[in-house]
Amino acid sequence: MARSKDDVSGRRDFLKLATVGAPALAAAAVAGSSKAMAAEVKTELGYSETQHVKAYLDSCRF
Amino acid sequence: MGDTDTMERGEIAPEDIMRAQVYDLLGALLRDSPSKDLLTKLTALEGDATPMGEAILALSKIAKSTGVEKASREFHDLFVGLGRGELLPYASYYMTGFLNEKPLAKLRNDMARLQIARAPSVYEPEDNIGSLCEMMAGLILGRFGPPADLTTQKDFFATHISPWAGHFFSDLEGAEYSLLYTPVGTVGARFIEIEKEAFRMTE
Repeated sequence: MARSKDDVSGRRDFLKLATVGAPALAAAAVAGSSKAMAAEVKTELGYSETQHVKAYLDSCRF
Repeated sequence: MGDTDTMERGEIAPEDIMRAQVYDLLGALLRDSPSKDLLTKLTALEGDATPMGEAILALSKIAKSTGVEKASREFHDLFVGLGRGELLPYASYYMTGFLNEKPLAKLRNDMARLQIARAPSVYEPEDNIGSLCEMMAGLILGRFGPPADLTTQKDFFATHISPWAGHFFSDLEGAEYSLLYTPVGTVGARFIEIEKEAFRMTE
């Protein structure tokens, strides 16, 4: 099961080449917004205002 | 959370941090409609002449002309809709043709094993693409405990993402309602290819 050093460095080199186009700076800032699977806002009615609920309420013009 | 991330990043290779950042970016865009803050950050992205760089640049350009309202409407048309959106971004749906099927059960087992829990306030099935990207980023950076080794990452990717995510991102690229999300699809599709290729090198 042990991976040889060559495989790992081959992968590293490949990744470096393939992802250089993706700049670290702004993506890093984005990472800060991660909140481990999206919290939802509780409405006064006691249910979660998910996108689906919002869609329904919008459709009723609430 | 941010602090532990930075602390642990010291031991994680730069290219792996880069991978996690791309996953985080995709996760943030696919989990909810983009906030003003996120859109502003997108406009600051730069890309070079590589395929990945070009896709990122396209995303940055479109973000400049997209407001929160417009982005929210697009997200809604694509993923929420009334009844359903244009696309169903769930592993189970793409792999079996039905929602909440075996792939979701398998994912829940793996999540338990890897000690990943769904936030209590979230009711959406865990096998949506945004959550899966978030989980990959978390495994790489060690948000759920120590950073996952390459074999764990590879298994997770091979089981839950690789079989369908490329297909989904292509659908997103070509979706009728996608505008801002067209380059998101391109970034995703190209990144999944890169990940597949890179994991192949660890065999």
